[in-house]
Amino acid sequence: MSAAPGARLAEVDAELAGRTALPRDNGELVFEEPWQGRALGMGVVVLERTGASWAEFRRHLAAAIRQHPPEPGESAASAYYAAWLDALEALLTERGLLP
Amino acid sequence: MTEHGHDHHHPRPDSQVALRARALEALLAEKGLVAADAIDAVVELYERDVGPQNGARVVARAWTDPAFRERLLADGTKAVAELGFGGVEADTLVAVANTPTVHNVVVCTLCSCYPWPVLGLPPTWYKSPPYRARMVAEPRAVLREFGLELPDEVEIRVWDSSAEVRYLVVPMRPAGTDGLTEEALSALVTRDCMIGTAVPQAGSP
Repeated sequence: MSAAPGARLAEVDAELAGRTALPRDNGELVFEEPWQGRALGMGVVVLERTGASWAEFRRHLAAAIRQHPPEPGESAASAYYAAWLDALEALLTERGLLP
Repeated sequence: MTEHGHDHHHPRPDSQVALRARALEALLAEKGLVAADAIDAVVELYERDVGPQNGARVVARAWTDPAFRERLLADGTKAVAELGFGGVEADTLVAVANTPTVHNVVVCTLCSCYPWPVLGLPPTWYKSPPYRARMVAEPRAVLREFGLELPDEVEIRVWDSSAEVRYLVVPMRPAGTDGLTEEALSALVTRDCMIGTAVPQAGSP
């Protein structure tokens, strides 16, 4: 919990590497609109608070990405963070924290 | 949800999903799971504090302040801490300066050690086995593939990062940038310039 916050991002990066990797451009995280950053922040905080693992979240995220590929005209970051919200809701529902 | 009768634009998909994100955040706050300020802290950190712009500020400062440049080359860790950058993985940061006769480039042959407090996250190619192996064996050829053609008389020094020591390349200030402010200069310094696979261009972003 008290780890350097930057280390948390490195951890998130490592845990989500591959098909569920955070969208980046030139090495920087891509947030096209503020809600995308909020979504990421919610995920980090929810996992901290619930003790859920990144592996568990990653499973939900991979499923959400499979179910909702980007629509025509939708940016990769927007599709990714929409799937991120799906995954977060699925995780919270599975743990009985959301109806 | 019902539609209002009056004329309005269709929301873009992003707007719908933005509303959804806000609704989820409100729900989490209501349940006492997540406070908005905790999210703020994470977002702020990820959006601003981590990224090559930190390193770019270091380089721009070194270009405009000779005393800082000296301190940076003497003790990189201490000098970047002056600008508020640091963290566990910058414990030993070594800044290496390009000159008209020496070009520096950074690699991590063992894994993907990288000075992320100043450069953010490493690009995918930095972690790739071909880059890691070939940058040591044939740096000139690899740099050429990056579009960087160096004259034969320029010596290439390859710095192998480790868990203990990370490197930051301080490129040469491009000609024709005399009138620029430190902030404008930092915009010329891309991530690749600080890895050593590119050099800053006066007209580049």
